[in-house]
Amino acid sequence: MIDNGLLVQMLLGALLGLSVYLPLAAGQLSLATPAFYAVGGTLAALLSTRWSVLGAADNGTFPWSAFGIEVVLGGLLAGAMALVVGSLVLRLQGIYLAIATIALVEIVRVAILNLPFTGGAIGIFGIPQPFASAAGYLIPALALLGLTGWICHRLELMPLGRAMAAIRDDELAARCMGINTTRVKLIAFVLSAMVAGSTGVLAAHFLNTWNARQGSFDTGITMLAFVILGGSRTWLGPVIGGLVLTAVPELLRPVGDARLVLFGLVILLGPLLFPEGLVSPALLERLGRIGAGDRSAPSAVGEQQP
Amino acid sequence: MIEVLLQTLLNGAASGGVYALVALGYTLVFSVLGVINFALGALFSLGGYLTYLLMGGSIGNNGGLPGWGLPIGLPFLPALLLAAGLTGLASLAVERLAFAPLRRRNAESLLYLITSLGAGLVLVNLLQMLMGAEGYSFPTAALAGLPDAVTIAGARIRSVQLLLLGVCGAAVIVLTLWLEKSRTGRALKAVAEDPTTAKLLGINSDAMLRLAFAISGALAGLGGGLIGVSISLPGPYVGVSYGLKGLAVLVLGGLGSVPGAIAGGLLMGLAEAMVPTEASGWRDALAFAILFIVLLIRPSGLLGQRVVDKV
Repeated sequence: MIDNGLLVQMLLGALLGLSVYLPLAAGQLSLATPAFYAVGGTLAALLSTRWSVLGAADNGTFPWSAFGIEVVLGGLLAGAMALVVGSLVLRLQGIYLAIATIALVEIVRVAILNLPFTGGAIGIFGIPQPFASAAGYLIPALALLGLTGWICHRLELMPLGRAMAAIRDDELAARCMGINTTRVKLIAFVLSAMVAGSTGVLAAHFLNTWNARQGSFDTGITMLAFVILGGSRTWLGPVIGGLVLTAVPELLRPVGDARLVLFGLVILLGPLLFPEGLVSPALLERLGRIGAGDRSAPSAVGEQQP
Repeated sequence: MIEVLLQTLLNGAASGGVYALVALGYTLVFSVLGVINFALGALFSLGGYLTYLLMGGSIGNNGGLPGWGLPIGLPFLPALLLAAGLTGLASLAVERLAFAPLRRRNAESLLYLITSLGAGLVLVNLLQMLMGAEGYSFPTAALAGLPDAVTIAGARIRSVQLLLLGVCGAAVIVLTLWLEKSRTGRALKAVAEDPTTAKLLGINSDAMLRLAFAISGALAGLGGGLIGVSISLPGPYVGVSYGLKGLAVLVLGGLGSVPGAIAGGLLMGLAEAMVPTEASGWRDALAFAILFIVLLIRPSGLLGQRVVDKV
């Protein structure tokens, strides 16, 4: 059922979930992830085919080192873009920010469709492969997910992450406490873009072809669904949500045409059935207690959750 | 020269009218519930396909029931109005499934985005199962009796364009008058203004909310039928791009403002019509570029009220 190719896709889904989660952890609903994902993917597609400065071999393979450089460059380019865009749009609040970021996604999509060097509607295909099989992509995808997860985990313990949480709870109060909210929001936005850009590089090589359809606005909301269904209170939520929701449409393949209807139902019913997400704060607390080996707690039978 | 200008203006106003319908659909729900209904684009598609079927169109070879069609063949306008009504009912179902359960438990507004998108996905993919992914052109007899084009002041205008403009104009005028003059319309506005006070005044706010959803869906359905007859239905996803443009118009005009949605729609349609043909590929980005700039200069939209910071 789950082959290596699907596993790679699931890991990419988890990364995109984290990219939407990062600004949300600072209270900012940004749907810009598909734009930065598209920018990263397009950069990789161009650097490995038309502008082969990093040296692609003719037989369709691609050196690992060049691939690694691309992953870094994709993240940096998306991050630089986010720095510029973010300093403009992060003044907006709530749904206005969400719609401004949707606008960004559409502008990037139309640009990729119309720029003279990005291959138009067909896009760029025959992107060379750094690995012999899909299994090879598991290593960089896992590494990138591990790194991003570690950063998110560290953030929860660091002043920056605490500042993000404070802004999420009450932005005005956070500002009154002396938190530079503009800077904190911008850092979260740039980190989010870097994750999406690097993920785009991975995806472009993995998919072997890249076009403007890769980053469209409704994928942005699907990614938001990763976060909401997984649970938006901790970084583990979007990871679980991304893994599960990327697998669902593929696992539903046997039902044929009805699979996207069922996927829609999952997205529709998810927030109704799990309003706090699969990884809810209550679940984390329970896991934390097991992890800490707290044996002095009363036995589960008599235990009452408040 | 003047003919070209007139033609451009009318083209712009026609597509602008459809954008305004979609934006009004968002506006009605946003003003009473404060959230955006992402299923509206799917309802737009539904309206287009329903109009096609009610006019006696049959399902293509890739559909779930190839060759099947309704045993009736209504003329365009009755089919359009009936389809809009049915889309309004579908919109009520969307409210039931995707909004009502969240409203009952006072969920955070983020969840509505997800559930409404989910409802839209279900609807679009059901349409795809039934009708297939292929494009549909309306039966040629659709506008029997109307000349193909009329000449106004030397400019050749497709009569379907005038029809589109007429229906959009009528819908907008009826809606505005209804909101301003009728008892129910004013009750709806009262709920949008202040739900608690409205409730104290004896207004059934739940009924008003459902009414807003029904009208919102009917407006989107109207848009879908109009685009279907004037251009064609390229596939079940036709409503997604119009839904997205409507979103841009919604913010451009100011969230929750009815005159803003109408003015924003016309402005957007005219701006798009001004794009020269050499750059037509970039036309779809224009709406969002304008939106982006407007948001930066005037975050509450052109005709919106200033948002007051919480103190």
